Amino acid sequence: MAHILLVEDSPEVSLSVREILASAGHSVEDAGNGKQALERLKGGKFDAIVSDIWMPEMDGIAFLKEIRGTGNKVPVVVISGGAPNAPLTYTAPMAATFGANVVLYKPFEKEELLSALSSVL
Amino acid sequence: MDTHGLQNDLGGMNLSSIRGFLESFHDPALIVDQSDQAVMANRAALRFLGRPVEQVEGKPLDGVFSIYLERVRRKGGANGLIRLEQYFEGAWYVLQVFDLLGPDGRTPTPYRVMSATDVSERKRREFDFLEIAAGLEEATRIAQMGTFKIIWANLQIDWSPHNYTLHGVSHDTFQPGGQAYLVLVHPDDRAYVNRRGTALARGEAAANVEYRIVRPDGAVRWVRMDGRVLFDSSGNGYASFGTIQDITDAKHREEELRELLRRNAILYEALEASPNGVAVFVSVQEGFEALYVNAAFERLTQHNSFSLNPASIRTLIPDSEVESWSRIATAIDHSQGGDFDVICRRRDGTEFPAKIELAPVHDHPQQAASAFVVNLRDLTIEKQRAAALLQSQKMEALGQLSGGVAHEINNLLQPVIALSDLGTSVLEKNPEKARQYFDVIGNSGRKAREVVRQVLTFARRDSPQLSSLNLVPLVTDAVDLAAKGLPAQIEVVSDIQLETAMALVSATQVSQVVLNLVRNASDAMNGTGRIAIGLKHLNIEQSAMPGELHAGPWIKLTVQDQGCGIDSVTLARVFEPFFTTKPVGRGTGLGLSVVYSIVEGWGGVINIESKVDQGTIVVIYIPEQV
Repeated sequence: MAHILLVEDSPEVSLSVREILASAGHSVEDAGNGKQALERLKGGKFDAIVSDIWMPEMDGIAFLKEIRGTGNKVPVVVISGGAPNAPLTYTAPMAATFGANVVLYKPFEKEELLSALSSVL
Repeated sequence: MDTHGLQNDLGGMNLSSIRGFLESFHDPALIVDQSDQAVMANRAALRFLGRPVEQVEGKPLDGVFSIYLERVRRKGGANGLIRLEQYFEGAWYVLQVFDLLGPDGRTPTPYRVMSATDVSERKRREFDFLEIAAGLEEATRIAQMGTFKIIWANLQIDWSPHNYTLHGVSHDTFQPGGQAYLVLVHPDDRAYVNRRGTALARGEAAANVEYRIVRPDGAVRWVRMDGRVLFDSSGNGYASFGTIQDITDAKHREEELRELLRRNAILYEALEASPNGVAVFVSVQEGFEALYVNAAFERLTQHNSFSLNPASIRTLIPDSEVESWSRIATAIDHSQGGDFDVICRRRDGTEFPAKIELAPVHDHPQQAASAFVVNLRDLTIEKQRAAALLQSQKMEALGQLSGGVAHEINNLLQPVIALSDLGTSVLEKNPEKARQYFDVIGNSGRKAREVVRQVLTFARRDSPQLSSLNLVPLVTDAVDLAAKGLPAQIEVVSDIQLETAMALVSATQVSQVVLNLVRNASDAMNGTGRIAIGLKHLNIEQSAMPGELHAGPWIKLTVQDQGCGIDSVTLARVFEPFFTTKPVGRGTGLGLSVVYSIVEGWGGVINIESKVDQGTIVVIYIPEQV
């Protein structure tokens, strides 16, 4: 069982992901954007991070750059709303470039997220 | 008459032999004694005097002979041969007098022989010559022509008076001569003039020798010298005669003409080199006739000026292009220019898209065009490029649209898929939790529906019913509603003085437009500033150009902010769907696209003016219903 930081601005997506993780017995802490997530990281230790890309204040790419820049090697699963190859969603491959361990495209099944997570834990 | 005295005085010389001597003169001849009486006359003299012998011999001299004696006497008596010319009663005579010698041929006698030769014919020729010479002098003066003559024997050089004038020198101070003359010649031409002049002096003719002289006052003149050789009666050349003519004006005209021709040649070459087809049509009785086509025109149309006539410009327009031809023909009829996007027909019947630019040429501003210049441009490649660009823009827009919609829908589908799965598993054990999941699923579904609606509104497949509504309360309410959601430091000021402003709109769309614009204005101001809303009547008297507002009553809705402004690159794209400058997570990028398509649906026009760091004003013009 792992302690996981979930970074997602959409309440509905946040709820659904949190419930998936909880159903597998993981404990979850919420953050609405990258900035809040950085605060949470100061306060505690996490086994993995699940993060959206498009978020206000600090997006997922900036958040990734920030944590990898400080040498934090915690596994990150990026969940992207973008369709592959669509002009505005090039950020998903970029997430991988900047240190995401796995990139998942929404909407994904419960098992997809759990197996992605177990692969990095 | 004492002819016997004559016989005695001549030493017994036979009278008949004396008479024979006298008859040997073909001209009238007399023997005159010391008292000036004629003692013997030949037959010619009698004929000449018109009197019988008895009225001549032994009588004093009369007629031309008496006048003649007067002149001889004035000269101090006759010694030896005397030869005089005398005019008398309409004829010229040469009178000769010599002493009659004795039979030994040496001893003088008191008698003189006198003969008169009619030289009228020669004299007339002489006069004719003088007259010609005088006329020639006058002619050379009029022709600005000077003459000169060089006698070879003594190298004497004579200049006509005008030759001095022509060279700007004075008869008193200038001594004509080879070296002196060369000083008057332009330095660049001296070698040439020296060569031709020397040849002339050697006896060669010199025709059309053109050179410049520099007058003492510094004036440079062009002259032409023509010289020839004069021959004496035995055919030997003895002098050179020449004319010198001032040809400065002719030279200048010649240079002007040459310059004009040179420019014409350049213009012609330029026209020929033009990548655009150029043709010139001139006015003739039945319309306009092709005068010239350049190489590009010929290449484009396969027509030359001959094959274009007699149908002229009409030849280029296929029969199917009735509309195009009618517009061109109207312009021609009214002597007007214009641009025409047409289908053009080649000589072989194939067609190509082209732009015909028609420019009238007026000889006089008030009159009909005397010619037309046609500029022809092949638009085939441009059309292909434009089509390709349009296609790539379509693809880009489609990509943005699909990407943006996909992102929104994907995010909304995530809870639907995840929670329906989880909900099923907790349905029995935890129905409360399941209900919460189903609420989220339902909300996500409704949000997805809203996204689809926005897309459809943009695509205008979902046009709501438009009705005649008063914009004043609609806009006021929408502004109030929009203001509620804004940060506290943002002030919204409405300047709406109207009571009614009727337009064919949808109430929902009006609030959608106002909300969108007010929120954009607020976002641009970074939390503080003023948004001014205006609603006014606008009456357009005359529609100036296509693309501008048509004449009639309009309602002008303005939303002005004091925000960051929009740079020109961004401004060009603001109406593109899913184009956004906002931070990620804020806005779909559909807002202004939706506003644009809504306003278009009302028959309105939207215009954005913006200056970076000074703010933006969005103006919407809506046709007013009166």
